[in-house]
Amino acid sequence: MANAFGDLSAWQAMLDRHAELFSEMSAGSRVGFVSRSESGVTPGKHVAGLMAAKGAGDMMAWERRETGMQTSLEDYAGFQDARVDLLFVAEDEALAAMREALSGEALGMIKRLIRKGGIMFYVMKNKYQLQDAGYEEFLESLGLSFLGACR
Amino acid sequence: MNRPGEEKLKHLFRPGSIGRFKTKNMVKYGACCVSNYNGRDGFITPRELARVRVIASTGCGIITNQGAYPDPLGEGKAYFRQVAIFDDKFIPQFETIAGYIHDAGAVAIQQILHAGRYGGIDLGYCIQPSVVPQTLPHFRPPRELTKEQIKAIVAQHADAARRAIRAGFDGTEVTSFMGYLLANFNSRFTNQRSDEYGGSVENRGRFMRELIDAVKQATPDSPMLIRLNAAELMDRWGGNSEDECFELMQQAVDCGVDMISVTVGWQEAPESSFGRDVSPGHWNHLSAKAKRLFPKTAIAFGNRLPDPVMADQCIRDGVFDYWEVCRPLLADPELIHKAAEDRLNEVRPCIGSLNCLSRLFRDLPYTCTMNPVLGHEVEPEYAITPAVEKKRIMVIGAGPAGMEAAITARKRGHEVTVFEKSAHIGGNLAAYAANDLARPEDLRSVIDYYRVMADKLGIEVRLNTEANAKFMRSVLHQYDVCLVAAGARTDLGAFRYLEGAELLVDALEVAHGRIKPGHRVVMVGGGMIGLTIAESLTKAGHEVVVVEEEKRVAGDVMPTFKWRHTAWVDELGIRTLTSSRLVKVTSEGATVKNAKGEESFVAADTVLVSSPRKANHDLFHEFQWMVDELHGAGDAVIARGLDAAIHEGYRMGVRI
Repeated sequence: MANAFGDLSAWQAMLDRHAELFSEMSAGSRVGFVSRSESGVTPGKHVAGLMAAKGAGDMMAWERRETGMQTSLEDYAGFQDARVDLLFVAEDEALAAMREALSGEALGMIKRLIRKGGIMFYVMKNKYQLQDAGYEEFLESLGLSFLGACR
Repeated sequence: MNRPGEEKLKHLFRPGSIGRFKTKNMVKYGACCVSNYNGRDGFITPRELARVRVIASTGCGIITNQGAYPDPLGEGKAYFRQVAIFDDKFIPQFETIAGYIHDAGAVAIQQILHAGRYGGIDLGYCIQPSVVPQTLPHFRPPRELTKEQIKAIVAQHADAARRAIRAGFDGTEVTSFMGYLLANFNSRFTNQRSDEYGGSVENRGRFMRELIDAVKQATPDSPMLIRLNAAELMDRWGGNSEDECFELMQQAVDCGVDMISVTVGWQEAPESSFGRDVSPGHWNHLSAKAKRLFPKTAIAFGNRLPDPVMADQCIRDGVFDYWEVCRPLLADPELIHKAAEDRLNEVRPCIGSLNCLSRLFRDLPYTCTMNPVLGHEVEPEYAITPAVEKKRIMVIGAGPAGMEAAITARKRGHEVTVFEKSAHIGGNLAAYAANDLARPEDLRSVIDYYRVMADKLGIEVRLNTEANAKFMRSVLHQYDVCLVAAGARTDLGAFRYLEGAELLVDALEVAHGRIKPGHRVVMVGGGMIGLTIAESLTKAGHEVVVVEEEKRVAGDVMPTFKWRHTAWVDELGIRTLTSSRLVKVTSEGATVKNAKGEESFVAADTVLVSSPRKANHDLFHEFQWMVDELHGAGDAVIARGLDAAIHEGYRMGVRI
């Protein structure tokens, strides 16, 4: 395996299967996935690791283009430079589980992993920007609270 | 203590003290929610003042007024219509509130709330110790505080405290709950600083210590209270461990705070802290630990502890000193008085639906599912006043809308009879409770409340009595008013042209226990009713597939509970076919077509239908010429849910 995400074509196939989730998104909308271990994020210091990491790993980007959501691999140099709207930071086990699920219910798996804490999730834009960019459907599909979650 | 309940709950109703002030009991009204009733400029409105009068009269020994933001820019402002205390111009209104609280014999505490990570609601940013991106899109992108800004914020808190005391409050409270600025400094999730305000727990607690010192110096004769997390529930995100939380509490104790209010959770925590799925008393161990570690500091606690009897036992057992309660008092402002009068069975229960918070995150004023008057105290139209003309009222349906209307109308002096076609009251709420995976007791407590109040008020409830045209003819001219609150039903007619429609089964029949489905079930409709029944059946061993026409399930579920249903669907392994509709039913199963037009067959022994729902309008047409006044309430008007049923029932009750 060349990178933490494995075969990108499998991810692309998964995105193509769920194209309807991204159909409302504006062109240029971007989502990033980074591996916690390759990003230098250490246990118990997730955010510190996230913020300190400078080009230590790869980021899988999903970018909305004319033809739909497209995957690519990029260098990860910290969230400030990632040019993404949403950033997912995944444990190695979570990434493995996602790769396993790519031909099946991968989004359901991502949703469960977020809830279990295997994937952390950051928003780089506010709700109005995300709404305008057409993210609501995607976020809701992952069970993420689009508004507040005080419970 | 001269009321019967005070003797029974003698620990709760014994006097206490905070600083130099005596409290008449051990109940603290917690500033749990910002009401969003106020001006966008931070000024307090008549609506708020009317609400505070009700709060003041709750009978609590200590009353904490809702959090006011202390800075003129509004960086600390968390809610759309939050009150402000950054200038002396606000003092007169706070004087009014302090007066209300003192008139009721309570100790008045003003909370100062700087929301930090959750603030800046009118701005394009929020301020934090470090730039840690948000995990919820509702909140603003972060900016890192400079040391000069930190000092200014500390001074703003001290000024705010000084203003509160000048306005007549007895003490002040600063809060970290739930993830506000104080918590942002304390937590290693949001504090990544490398200066003296970041790093070790000692350094992270520096802001809190400076804050306490400044407030205490500004108001040396007044008690200072602090709300601190005993658990952030953010561990997986790099937040504080429980040990670190208690280490920070120790720092606050060492700084001489007069009370620690122990809290649980952050707004962005991945698990519930006080929702309906959390059992009452679940977090008590955290409070007990605080009490054990800090025996000389008063401990207040109330997270998911809605019951005064449990609270009394906790005080007796040394779990905490003061029962901090808010949401149960939103549902029933008379809770403490009813406890004191040994009338706890008459308490209108808080069911933890968190309707209050669901609305705040849409920048709306908070309301309460159980209390239709909340937020309308200023409006005389919502008051229960004696009816000028006493009427004979028949209510059709003993669900929440009907019972609420009956009780309210009866309180006004009307004669009320409720007609219910089934053998029990509660309507579809009883069926919901029977299938609820969270806390069915909460839902049943609503029905119990209606039963008790109907008995107490002398409302006749005729069970097993179906109201139809024939029945109406038999009681012609015996009633002045007919209120139709017959709820809604599953609209099986919507499928009448479907092949195999005769095999469809109404999901509500299953929910009520009148029909037992086969092992393999297809549930048509993935809204609240369909999901609740699907979850219950799955838990009982059935294999259930949910078919939903919309893109997502749980579309009609309260936002604060939607995540719970979607998580249950995952955990229970319930297959959902969204953007799909039923096209054919046979004795072998159901054929379903998705948005792309692709058909698939789902094997099933029973195909249940939970959606669409149809309001029971028929009675309106049948009764139109048979009674002087004909009204409707709840799902009988438009199929919705519990809060609409209760609120409309009440509004009809106060208007007839």
